[in-house]
Amino acid sequence: MIDRIFPAALIAVAGFMVWTPTLAVAADEAQAHHMHLATPNSSESVKWYVEYLACKTVAGRPKLVNCGEMDIEFVARTTLGGSQGTGVNHISFSFADVKAKMDELEAVGVRGSGVRLQRFADGSTLQNLPGLGKHGFIFDPWGTRIELVEDPDVLGFHHIHLQSVAPEDALTWYVDVLGAERGKFKGELDGLVFGSVWLLIEQYGDGKPAATDERSIDHLGFVMAELETASQRIADQGVDLQQAVVPEGARSQAKRAFLAGPDGVLIALVEPGWGGTEDALIAVEEKVATAPYTVVRTPWDEPDLQGIWTGNPSHGIPLERPVNAGETESLTPQQAAARRERGTLGSIWGYEREWRDTTLGYDKSAPSRQVAMVIDPPSGRIPPMTEKGRELAAAAREARGYARGELVSGPEDLPNFVRCITRGLPGLMMPGIYNNGLQIVQSPGYVAIQKEMIHETRVIPTTAKPHLGPKLKQWLGSSRGHWEGDTLVVQVKGFNGRAAYRGSSENMILTERYRRIDENTLEYQFTVDDPTVWTRPWTGMFRYAKDDSQYELVEYACHEGNYGMTNILSAARSKDKTES
Amino acid sequence: MYCSVRLRQLAVSVVLVSVASLMGCAPASTPTATSDATPEPSLPTAYDGNPDLSGIWQAIGTAHWNLEDHTASAGPPELGAIGTMPPGKGVVVGGDIPYQEWAREQQQENLARRHAEDPATKCYLPGVPRATYQPYPFQILQGTGKIMIVYGIAEANRTIHMDKDNPEPAPIDSWMGRSHGRWDGDTLVVEASGFNGQAWLDRAGNFASDTLRIEERYTLMGPNAMQYEATLEDPNVYTGAWSIKLPLYRRLEPDMEILEYKCVEYSEELIYGHLRKRTAQ
Repeated sequence: MIDRIFPAALIAVAGFMVWTPTLAVAADEAQAHHMHLATPNSSESVKWYVEYLACKTVAGRPKLVNCGEMDIEFVARTTLGGSQGTGVNHISFSFADVKAKMDELEAVGVRGSGVRLQRFADGSTLQNLPGLGKHGFIFDPWGTRIELVEDPDVLGFHHIHLQSVAPEDALTWYVDVLGAERGKFKGELDGLVFGSVWLLIEQYGDGKPAATDERSIDHLGFVMAELETASQRIADQGVDLQQAVVPEGARSQAKRAFLAGPDGVLIALVEPGWGGTEDALIAVEEKVATAPYTVVRTPWDEPDLQGIWTGNPSHGIPLERPVNAGETESLTPQQAAARRERGTLGSIWGYEREWRDTTLGYDKSAPSRQVAMVIDPPSGRIPPMTEKGRELAAAAREARGYARGELVSGPEDLPNFVRCITRGLPGLMMPGIYNNGLQIVQSPGYVAIQKEMIHETRVIPTTAKPHLGPKLKQWLGSSRGHWEGDTLVVQVKGFNGRAAYRGSSENMILTERYRRIDENTLEYQFTVDDPTVWTRPWTGMFRYAKDDSQYELVEYACHEGNYGMTNILSAARSKDKTES
Repeated sequence: MYCSVRLRQLAVSVVLVSVASLMGCAPASTPTATSDATPEPSLPTAYDGNPDLSGIWQAIGTAHWNLEDHTASAGPPELGAIGTMPPGKGVVVGGDIPYQEWAREQQQENLARRHAEDPATKCYLPGVPRATYQPYPFQILQGTGKIMIVYGIAEANRTIHMDKDNPEPAPIDSWMGRSHGRWDGDTLVVEASGFNGQAWLDRAGNFASDTLRIEERYTLMGPNAMQYEATLEDPNVYTGAWSIKLPLYRRLEPDMEILEYKCVEYSEELIYGHLRKRTAQ
């Protein structure tokens, strides 16, 4: 079936993949070579692909991994979003036991590796596909959609999956322009083959795919032996082609040309010997390359989460994915900055920029680029409520007179937060616009988490202790923690049900995961499991930034200074008089 | 792992130091030579060799009613005998609080209006040192660089900075003040200031102003008891510095923990009752 021999093909996603050809190469035919994947942090991405997708590091190339027949290079740059919705829908990796791999990722996912699993309509993570066998989808932490398949013939990197408004035309284009060989993968699926790397293609469902350019899979790369000659031929075919040059920062004298493929797919052609370009010239916000972070430990040898953290970076992240977010996996820094500006300066609080940045400490951290907090379900939306959940929510609304437009009759008519009682859980952990401090102090066997906003302190035992008895239901339930590696896992239950979060009931079991992902970042994940209210559990995530140097929690004496309550009530009574 | 036994006696320390070395622990402090060979009870020692005050503690007695000597007295009539103030010996070292004349009068007025005016009836933060001898447990967490005390009422808490210079004056006034600590031998010494002057010291209307400065001393007396001393200075209220001294006891129940005591809602009728909607007769 494959009688042609290709040099190397390049695939640009959100990083670089480089496939080193082992076969002889025809002069004027492209061969899959590598991919570029864009990532905010190359070393993190290398670590992730090595850890979860069985890729290997390559000596002397710290930003590159080898994954079977393909090398992937991670280019530090900002992206406009993930791979979905572009002409390169996903890439695929094959494992000998895909179920085991998916199970592993599912376990890892909730612990915060950043992986997201995509479930099929029936809730499963794997299904059978004719010609492919068992397959399922995940997203890497940077938005690249990855298919996992079980193909014992090709383990490791498996194929690139294109989407096209006109698949037949696209296939013809790749044959005519890049010299690809058409084939039917496993005799079933239409595609192209470059060496042992397959490009499969399917019909794009809705409208026109977005350009890959600046998405997480930025472009696909192919090696072309006689690039100059091929360029001329390709230009003669009427393809929009950028002249072949040795780009600035190239590690070799090999030339590269970009051309516009079908369906907005950006394609790079490189000469043999291409060694990529130095990141520094592309990097937008690469952090200083660091070794994988090792969590600091306390003198008594527990992971050390102590310090003052603030939720400032995460202020403004909506809980649920906005309807207009499209396929966006991550905001650009500019969009994130704009969201912060809207949420702070433009709000009813009317903050002055300088005061916000210095007194509140907003200048200490870049705004989060997360699109939404909810990471599971992958839709970014809280799952549907049960019928009971809807009834409870309606009853809670009805219980408050002011919600029906009546004047406030007494303090209990107002929300718990206004009464300075509690923000509930996980509500009290949520970043707010001000008094965002979170102080953690540990002593052997205990972690105390103090939240500045309305000053609540949770003392969480990390040794085995039974939950409180059924008569000891509390506003914040009872919290029981344990360490799973470097992660503090806290199970909270036994709620009194009076401080609902988004309609949660007293039956909620909240599982929190606290993990320091680097020296200055604390990742907080919360899984809400409340079968009374929601049809399935859901999980959110956001991050705190460490700020020991400047930030200090102040005493948020909320109830003591609750003039707002007095004013609300006295205004209502005054209105009573004028209306009677 | 951390060291659980504090080494104090030379007589036993030679053996224990070698054991401790095997356990990776340094001796807690230079053992003091004494001629008396009777070992003192061993005291808990923290990871850093300092006394380990971690745990749940509580005062016993009537200091929360009145720091000074007091006989039994009536409470609100509707509560009968259970609302009365029980009698108790004072914890003020050397007798009474040395009030300036106006301040003693103020305290007497406070006492008369205590059912409505005591900040604790409104579920306000208790302040220092009152938080220590309220009749509720509190937990000490001895972390690295900070000691946190979490009190079992009104979500009161304090962070004692062990790792920072004490700024003068405190950056902001507050109910619980600002606390900086250090070790003086086996005693935790805490300098607290930056109070807002609104907290009372007990249910008898004893009080201070926002110029209050406190030095607290926490000293283990054994594994399960601790001496608490606090010296209060307030040139606007007292004629001189004065101290209280009382023991704190470890809560020994195996599953002891600080339960949630969010008292705000129990104070709302008292504070906002007059603003409640009256139903038409």
